[in-house]
Amino acid sequence: MTSTTTKPGAAIAPGTSDAALIEIAHLDKSYGAFKALEDMQFELRAGEVHVLFGENGAGKSTLIQIICGVQPFDSGSYRLFGETLSSLTPALAHAKGVSVVFQEFSLIPDMTVEENLFLGHEITSGGRLAKSAMHKKVQAVLDRLGFHLDSSARVSTLRRAHQQMVEIAKALLWDCQVLILDEPTASLTDHEAAQLFDIIEQLRSEGLGIVYVSHRMPEISRLADRVTVLRDGKFIATVNKADTSEKELVQLMTGRTFDEFFPHIQRNPGDTVLAFRDVTLQSGLAENISFSVRRGEVLGFAGLAGCGKSEVLRAAFGLEAVETGAITTGGTKLDNNSPRKALNNRICYLPSDRATEGLAMHQSLIANSTIAALDDPVFSLGNMLLNRRAETSFTEKMIDKLKIRTPGLHAKADQLSGGNKQKLMIARGLSREFDVFLFDEPTVGVDIQAKLEIYDVIKTLTEEGKAVVIASSELAEVMHMSHRVIVMREGEIVGELDGDAVTENALLSHFFDHGDQDTDQPQGHPTS
Amino acid sequence: MSDQTQVSGHSLRAIGPHLLLPLAIVAVVAFFALLQPAMLSGDNIANIMKQSSLFFFVACAQLVVIITRGFDLSVGANVSLVSVASSMVMTAMIPVFGTGLGIVLGVGIGLLIGVGIGAMNGLLVAYGRINPFIVTLATMSIFTGVATTISGGFPIFNLPEAFSFAFNQMIILMLPIPLIIAGVVAYGLHFSLTKTVHGRVLYVLGDSNEVALVAGRRVKEHLFLAYVTSGVLASVAGLLMTAQTGSGEPNLGTSLVLNSIAAAVIGGASLRGGSGGILAPIYGALLIVCLSIGMNLQQINGSLQPVVIGAILIFGAALDALRTRER
Amino acid sequence: MTAHAAIPESRTSKVLKAIGILPFVLVLTCVLLALYEPRFLRVSNLINVLRNASFLTIISAGQMLVIIVGGFDISVGAIVALTSVSSALSMVGLSSMGIESAGVIVLLGCLMGLVPALAVGIANGFLVSVLKISPFMVTIGTMTIAVGIAGYVTGGTPIYDMPELFTREIGRGKFLRLPYIVYAAALVLALLWFMQNQTRLGRYFYAVGGNEKASRLTGLNTRKYIWLAYVLSALLAGIVGLFLTARVGSGEATLGSNLMLESISVAVIGGVALKGGVGRIQMVALSAIFLAVLSNGMSLARIDSKYHIIIIGLVIVFAVAAESFRESRRNKHV
Repeated sequence: MTSTTTKPGAAIAPGTSDAALIEIAHLDKSYGAFKALEDMQFELRAGEVHVLFGENGAGKSTLIQIICGVQPFDSGSYRLFGETLSSLTPALAHAKGVSVVFQEFSLIPDMTVEENLFLGHEITSGGRLAKSAMHKKVQAVLDRLGFHLDSSARVSTLRRAHQQMVEIAKALLWDCQVLILDEPTASLTDHEAAQLFDIIEQLRSEGLGIVYVSHRMPEISRLADRVTVLRDGKFIATVNKADTSEKELVQLMTGRTFDEFFPHIQRNPGDTVLAFRDVTLQSGLAENISFSVRRGEVLGFAGLAGCGKSEVLRAAFGLEAVETGAITTGGTKLDNNSPRKALNNRICYLPSDRATEGLAMHQSLIANSTIAALDDPVFSLGNMLLNRRAETSFTEKMIDKLKIRTPGLHAKADQLSGGNKQKLMIARGLSREFDVFLFDEPTVGVDIQAKLEIYDVIKTLTEEGKAVVIASSELAEVMHMSHRVIVMREGEIVGELDGDAVTENALLSHFFDHGDQDTDQPQGHPTS
Repeated sequence: MSDQTQVSGHSLRAIGPHLLLPLAIVAVVAFFALLQPAMLSGDNIANIMKQSSLFFFVACAQLVVIITRGFDLSVGANVSLVSVASSMVMTAMIPVFGTGLGIVLGVGIGLLIGVGIGAMNGLLVAYGRINPFIVTLATMSIFTGVATTISGGFPIFNLPEAFSFAFNQMIILMLPIPLIIAGVVAYGLHFSLTKTVHGRVLYVLGDSNEVALVAGRRVKEHLFLAYVTSGVLASVAGLLMTAQTGSGEPNLGTSLVLNSIAAAVIGGASLRGGSGGILAPIYGALLIVCLSIGMNLQQINGSLQPVVIGAILIFGAALDALRTRER
Repeated sequence: MTAHAAIPESRTSKVLKAIGILPFVLVLTCVLLALYEPRFLRVSNLINVLRNASFLTIISAGQMLVIIVGGFDISVGAIVALTSVSSALSMVGLSSMGIESAGVIVLLGCLMGLVPALAVGIANGFLVSVLKISPFMVTIGTMTIAVGIAGYVTGGTPIYDMPELFTREIGRGKFLRLPYIVYAAALVLALLWFMQNQTRLGRYFYAVGGNEKASRLTGLNTRKYIWLAYVLSALLAGIVGLFLTARVGSGEATLGSNLMLESISVAVIGGVALKGGVGRIQMVALSAIFLAVLSNGMSLARIDSKYHIIIIGLVIVFAVAAESFRESRRNKHV
């Protein structure tokens, strides 16, 4: 099997930007009673980068899964390369020239880079794998992309960013007409991201149609030709980037303006409750981190994903081992930190990954809301016997206070929607007395209504005199929620902004400022 | 939104298992009673009660670790070793210390062995982070070996009458003693699973280890304790079964491993961890015991009985797969 | 941070990572054994070891395939018993039907003997891959059923009167002083090595076990490969059943009762990871030889056979603990 045989889109002359590669109209898709997409429309032309923009849960993932054949659709029309399709499988889509880079890695950890790249499409001769032919092809693709990857390395030994590069190489190994990238920079460093942008621009000039899923403004302003905005599974608008602004896009996405979206949080700085002094992590993902946070203020951590901001929060909670430096809370030094120790020192962490670290998905709301507070005499007698009445009344109170929409007290966490799951985790944060709240991506996978309610909780906590730390990849969120923002890049703090100095331009300049960095990596500076 | 549909689906599924199993048990008993009226005779019902009680302990031993998304393949070896070792201690000690103290020593050794095996499993699983399947497979072969070695492969006879009486034949208020002990253990286990911090943590860590860790629980301690509990429950089964047979048997527990897992899973515990209550081993044990006693009465060939049990096992696991896929 | 992803490491640790410590342990065991008990090196004894290792290699090869796709096969021992009974009954039946040629009887008998084995394999594969039932429960269930049927059909007594050609020639025959089973094992080894290293099929087995969801997204028919692994495992177990039946000279419902445990031990000691996606046939063969040498050594040292399972159990714990230690160190690097 070689790459040049299947090219149904070959009839379209490359570079003619008005030829539609993908046309989707009046498309519906439901999961049971839940309408994931409703009357969707979308068009992709050759030689453009078309950004899909929307909140988590707006339907972006469903749309790209339909485009590449992972999910079937219920009704409507889907034309790929001018051909109307009623059913599509991933293999068929691939053969037609649609390549996808999913956000969730589709790599086999125990196989080598090369084996992964060819998975499902190995070159064989006479039933045997043609290993040297494959090796040559891999080298050619890696060279073209400028990726320095050892093709014989096992994927599990690679860092996440390099795994992401393998994913991209996998999509581009075969000639394709349509390339779909689902938040491809989620785990790249800025340098690697810049390199990726160069590649995307190169591919665009070669006439590929690129669907780019993202909600990051800097990337959109750099790459997009057109932007299609989705909200709650509905098509909102397709706009030319040249004719729009960030404000307008966010308004389209949220249906609100900035000012009514984020609450104003009073700042009443009290005593320092959490401080890092020259902390370097064993994993090397964050180095020489020093900062402190006081009662009554919100400290934001900004930076691209993979910059180490999440690891800093995890270190404060004992989920990352500290190599050197000291973490102190209200005067006590947290040596050999562990979640248990952190909790006992009144630090609460709300993980970004609710499914694996946050909630026990098949346990009841009650079990989930009190699990961190079972040592408390309120909920247990001598840390042995549960006080079920107290647990129940606490959970009822929380459902009421946080407006958790649930089928009942004894429903399983799994039955809640993303936003209500997050609120359930917040309930856990209210189950005992804490001084410090560490929010890791507080609104990931959360619908807009819940988002507003979560912001409200953060406001209340802060104004009650708690210290709040937010790490978020959503620029607008960190920017508008925090009194102070620390910007991180490649595991180091590169800037700190306070009060009125927290502006988008100031933040972005730190995100992408390369001035004195990376002298050993000459290529890949953003051209902006 | 979609929550509505999930509610009704949930309540149906929640009620389903509660009715399904008692109905299945009644159906099995009724089926055999039609073929053989002796199925409903007083003696036979007492027998069912007694056998189910004995089997209940191994099913419980399995349940405790299945909740943590584990396994205990060593329960059978545990039963065998306890049977042999406690019998040997009793026969050796009674001439020296007299019957009463001899029996106490024998029982004490049996329980101690349960703690020991459970602790070894727990250490390797919780602190060594080794797959429970492999750990208990290994301890199964080790302790089966120990049981055959110390006994030379032969049964140990001449156990005191008083032992069999106290742990098998005694009847209090018309209830056979194994049933009473089973009742006490069932209550204790139910209490610890639903009303204590330990039980709560077991369910949560069975669902997700990381969640329990992030919630500041002492995950390793609780996991370790679960395996010790399993070991002790299995050793209780070993003692009671020895009292039933009246001799120490080096292969007393051989067939128990698979059946105990079958009972727990058919009863409603999920192999994916985090679910299953005290009703699981009760229903599971009753169902399997009723089936096998019924088949015995019907004089179905002994070799075919496992075929039925195997089919039920797959059926139960299929139900479990269906349940977990839906949720 | 350099752009190069691979972790630099010394040459020796690279070699160690590639082949593990098993070959060294094996050589060491052999040397110690030879020093302690010279009879170990007698040709007849070595052939005996090789024969046992061959049985173990074939059955563990099947176990390995299943574990690679992320499963377990507890029914292999029962399949051996079932094959033994069905092949013996078929041969006895065929000869009573008046077929003269022993060759035909043996050939047909063996083929018919493999039918129930395949049936179990197909059932296992279906239940695991299509109905998504836990492989552990499925194969425990089919094991119980297979053992029950084998016991029922024989009524507990062995089946004799199989053709001499089968019991003498296949069971005890030799080519170049080596029993046929050794060649069979070598063939299995060669075929599986080729499959794992040179074919798409081999890669797909690893892929499915390594990350099923990703494999499906890539367009692989994951069900097919999982199913196939169970069928191959059952087939290999069936072949072992035939050879064992020929060797003992009768169809027995209790044959192979230790093989389930032993095959899993061999696979685990041979570095096949229970999480799936990892395992090489050559290491499994080496591990089979190791286990065969170990039990031979224990017999030579007149250690009571009852101790054998204790020692094998300890070896498993050690092997897995070493593996999980290596794994945790590896993860620390990343």
